[in-house]
Amino acid sequence: MSRDLDALIALIYRQLKRWAVSRSRIISIIIQPLLWIIFLGLGFGTVFSAQNIELSSTINNSTITKYIDPSIIRSILSKYFTAIFGGVDYITFLITGMAAMTAFIGSFISGISVIWDKQFGFLKETLVAPASRKTIILGRIIGDSIINTVQSLIIILLALLITHQINPLGIPIALLYIFMMSLGFTGLGVTISLKFSSMEGFQMIVNLLTMPLMFMSGVFYPINTMPDWMKVIAIMNPLTYCVYGTRYWLAGVKASLGFMNPVTSLIILMLFTAIFATIAMFSFEKTTIED
Amino acid sequence: MPMDEIVIVENLVKKFKDVTAVDGISFTIKKGEIFALLGPNGAGKTTTIHIIATLLRPTSGRVFVGKYDVTKDPNKVREKIGIVFQDPSLDNQLTAYDNMYIHGKLYGLRGRELHEKIMKLLEFVDLKEYAYKQVRYFSGGMRRRLEIARSLLHEPELLILDEPTIGLDPQSRAKIWDYIHMLKKEHDMTILLTTHYMDEAEELANRIAIMDHGKIIALGTVEQLKAMLGKDVIYLTLDGNAKEFCEKLIFAKDCNIIGNNRIELLVDNAPRYLPEIFRIALTNGIGIREVSYRRPTLNEVFLHLTGRELRESLEETPSIIQKLPLRWRRSR
Ligand SMILES: Nc1ncnc2c1ncn2[C@@H]1O[C@H](COP(=O)(O)OP(=O)(O)OP(=O)(O)O)[C@@H](O)[C@H]1O
Ligand SMILES: [Mg+2]
Repeated sequence: MSRDLDALIALIYRQLKRWAVSRSRIISIIIQPLLWIIFLGLGFGTVFSAQNIELSSTINNSTITKYIDPSIIRSILSKYFTAIFGGVDYITFLITGMAAMTAFIGSFISGISVIWDKQFGFLKETLVAPASRKTIILGRIIGDSIINTVQSLIIILLALLITHQINPLGIPIALLYIFMMSLGFTGLGVTISLKFSSMEGFQMIVNLLTMPLMFMSGVFYPINTMPDWMKVIAIMNPLTYCVYGTRYWLAGVKASLGFMNPVTSLIILMLFTAIFATIAMFSFEKTTIED
Repeated sequence: MPMDEIVIVENLVKKFKDVTAVDGISFTIKKGEIFALLGPNGAGKTTTIHIIATLLRPTSGRVFVGKYDVTKDPNKVREKIGIVFQDPSLDNQLTAYDNMYIHGKLYGLRGRELHEKIMKLLEFVDLKEYAYKQVRYFSGGMRRRLEIARSLLHEPELLILDEPTIGLDPQSRAKIWDYIHMLKKEHDMTILLTTHYMDEAEELANRIAIMDHGKIIALGTVEQLKAMLGKDVIYLTLDGNAKEFCEKLIFAKDCNIIGNNRIELLVDNAPRYLPEIFRIALTNGIGIREVSYRRPTLNEVFLHLTGRELRESLEETPSIIQKLPLRWRRSR
């Protein structure tokens, strides 16, 4: 039993150590959300801001301008945009979603590292070890989830510099949601990766999976304004609940569907994580080098 | 089950989709012996090893390590074995020390004891000064030595070495042979190794199983295997009927047709009989295209059993093996 705990810690240690020595990986993981934040955030940020709307040309020739002060229109529009994004400006909305997305993308990188380990042989070293395979793979999942959470934290800290609508006190709780979500998706990524021996095959499946999940989670736009069919998918998408929770605790954003609140979201995330981490543990138990 | 046998393999078969990699082999390994599986590429050596090491499930047959069945008690078997795989299995991004440390943790070692064992073994394989270097900067020989050190960390009852010297230069090979001799002498360790170098099997093994196409075609000590052929072997390539010619050579202990018009002649004294052979050929109008005689080595044993030269399937001759750096392409 204590050997199994040691094995769990050993694998956490290994994942963290590898991460610490591969600086390029850290940078590339942070760069991607940063690009989204800069181009989408700053680009759409001004679109969704009433201050920049050229009112005279929009309501040109109309009699409206005679009776209503343009500043009132501005303030109505401004309220409208803020309401749509749940009480914050677009960049805050996006950046809080990005915090969750960074860990989400990172979760699938773990799957890639399993395939690397297959190709470079280290996986065999863990497969012949007498320690319980369940704890070995769990250690790996936990280690990678810690990494993903730290990377999300870096994004959140950067966000503090860009927007002041974020509440620093909410960070630890938001990280809990992110960690939970990461455990689940890392479990899923690892399970898929155990079935593939080539990077290409795995990457194809992952792209097919991550793109829709990302867009139908509310990272880029609110879920309550989505078309109905999209809402259905968003409800089934675990990432949705992480994005919701992260946003709620970081910026108090409540844009959501009826049943969602911080508690139900966390419970759903925990269920999801329990299921997929368990699936990963059982598939690793049955792994031979033939697959 | 007698307990002086640490490995028992009974009628082991392993089929992959369309290939039968291991085709019904049986053998046992006694405690304290060095047992070699010798055979050309694709013979099924690695597959056999992987089944013993619980990494592959047998298609049929049974395998025991200690008193444990590899399919029923894999964790018990894993505790007993240390293995060096044919292909590398180190974490290149980590240091030598960390590779050892993680291994130790996976086998339930900890604290001072673990640290001291790591340092002792790194010293044993002459890598102490590289302990805190990342493995990716290591040469092939250093990696191999580190893998050997790692496999010894938890003091396994059975050490499995799959082609321990593949791709190494002569100095590194000699070094690894030294370690193996030392382990045998000082710890009386049981070692199962595979190789496709005849000299390696001869140098290291107490007993050798020659494998080909998934089958064990001969098993015994080097002396027993060579005794199959007697003192000298003469090889003749003929123009004419080999079978008829064989019947005329009554002085030979045995005469076998191997391959195309090629015959193998077992005699006690080849130089004495050669003129006789030429005389018989001449009087019978049979042309001799090629003739050679050799003291039997494992290569001749393999040739005797399969009609193929073992070293041909290795693409090099034994004398060159000892002098040139070997850079085999990896099988996969
Ligand atoms: N995972 C696999 N899937 C399909 N076929 C395989 C697999 N592993 C091995 N084989 C096949 O089984 C046969 C035996 O392979 P094996 O690796 O056991 O040979 P070997 O004796 O170790 O050879 P080498 O000297 O090249 O290492 C080969 O024909 C090989 O192609
Ligand atoms: Mg092999």
